[in-house]
Amino acid sequence: MSTAETVLNVLAQVSRTEAVRDHLDLRLYDQHLLDSLATVRLIVAFEEAFAIQFDDVEFEREDWATPGHIVAFMEQRLGK
Amino acid sequence: MTALPPLDGDLLERIDRWARVAPTRLAHVSGERSLTYAELTRRSNALADHLTATLPPDGAPVVIEGHKEPELLIGFLGAAKAGHPYVPVEDNLPPQRLSRIVETAGAALTLTAATIAALAPAGAPAAPAPRPAPGRRAPETPYYIMFTSGSTGEPKGVVITHGCLEAFLNWMQVEQALPEGEVFLNQAPYSFDLSIMDTYLALVSGGTIVSVTRHDVAQPKQRHAAFARSGLTVWVSTPSFAQLCLVQRRFAPALLPRLHRFLFCGEMLPHGVAAQLLDRFPEAVVWNTYGPTEATVATTSIRIDREVLTRHSPLPIGYSMPGTRVTVVDEGGRELPSGERGEIVIAGPNVSPGYLRRPDLNARAFFALDGQRAYHTGDWGRLRDGLLFCEGRMDSQIKLHGHRVELGDIESNLRALPGIADAVVLPILWEGRPDALSAFVVMTERGTEPDFDLGNRLRDQLSRRLPVYMLPRQFSFLERFPLNANGKADRKKLAETLA
Repeated sequence: MSTAETVLNVLAQVSRTEAVRDHLDLRLYDQHLLDSLATVRLIVAFEEAFAIQFDDVEFEREDWATPGHIVAFMEQRLGK
Repeated sequence: MTALPPLDGDLLERIDRWARVAPTRLAHVSGERSLTYAELTRRSNALADHLTATLPPDGAPVVIEGHKEPELLIGFLGAAKAGHPYVPVEDNLPPQRLSRIVETAGAALTLTAATIAALAPAGAPAAPAPRPAPGRRAPETPYYIMFTSGSTGEPKGVVITHGCLEAFLNWMQVEQALPEGEVFLNQAPYSFDLSIMDTYLALVSGGTIVSVTRHDVAQPKQRHAAFARSGLTVWVSTPSFAQLCLVQRRFAPALLPRLHRFLFCGEMLPHGVAAQLLDRFPEAVVWNTYGPTEATVATTSIRIDREVLTRHSPLPIGYSMPGTRVTVVDEGGRELPSGERGEIVIAGPNVSPGYLRRPDLNARAFFALDGQRAYHTGDWGRLRDGLLFCEGRMDSQIKLHGHRVELGDIESNLRALPGIADAVVLPILWEGRPDALSAFVVMTERGTEPDFDLGNRLRDQLSRRLPVYMLPRQFSFLERFPLNANGKADRKKLAETLA
């Protein structure tokens, strides 16, 4: 599975929104599909899925504003 | 160090005393702004003078709207000094919800940070007369009114008196043995009574309130910076907020070197959160407290140490404050023996006289027990040797990251939207606790709009009626609800689809 697919699987699960897969420009926080606690769930889920550990204060909400942003962020984070 | 004033003194006098003892000490810090005790007293007196001169002496509530601005504190104390209870509301409430609250409260007026700044400006002269007028501070005088979600969609106002608040504060101050001049975290919105714990414990003990705004909460970098300059010594928040912070590994004594105490309230304290905090902050103590808004912030407490963690999972919610009786009763209101499960009932001076102008609700929830005001919490619980355990709700109220939400409130507001025949809202659980909301909707006519778009549209419409934290994350559309044996929507069956 590609990084993008894994990221979107995790995101769909945490945001309870299958539509994130084909709405890459969806404003997740503005649409109330993510909030601060859900971000924590995402971090934990990504750490598990990719066997990584995030450093502190790595990102701001704007970096994770849409599914597209999150995929790009994770691809860069994983060096792909 | 100055000795703390006697606990039996009038609450407002105890706060004003710090303007004489430590006039330049900071009472409040919010971002770049701050307020000294001298300013707080002088400006709240000026506001009280204005309110006394312009409002009839009928004790009508004053709505105070804003988010963490120093002026709000001036507003709270100014209103109280003028003999008017205040109703704190957040400035991001939908106008419709706000106007319902203003209407239900029978509010005399609504003040914002800007209007308070104009009525009681920074240069306000020292007022001549002591206030409030004598006789206004009887223990039964309403002090604040906290509006909370109501199951029919109408928010209800919990009246808390001077006597209630003093009973709560006196207990906490003695139990926590708080010295003068602690620095308290203020994270909960003022419209959530958890904020009463930090705000008033700080004010009566000459401490400093450090506010973290909702913007700081949402942005890790900003939150980090706010903590770094805070000098916090006493942490007050929901467990959810601590959980949010714990994800950052830098959330540790190096960042908050003076922090020695965590006080939690507002929702169940997860075992794992308490354990993580004790690991991360080995010098700090962790307290769990419990209580409904109707009994003034908190009624029971327990220090969670290693031994408690070893012995209990889930964690207990504590022992009752002195002077207040916590019992567990059966359906007929009879006290149950130790260890048996029933409804938690609270009786004592911290119990509210009732909901504002809601005799229908009051008759069901409030009663007298051995000459004390008593309240049916609607919480399942069990006592073991005086130690109380909470086992969830008897109705469809939930705690969502500390916010008290009646699912019926959201359902009523959904049903009021055009095109909706029926709606059921259920919590989505994470590790057994509510983490988000899911709405199941039956439309009168299901058009061709994709589910996702329709859900977004309904959420948007709902956001004009309900606070943000009450908006469902997920929407599902059904032709009809599965029915239970009573012919009602089968909530259990619907909940199974969320697992």
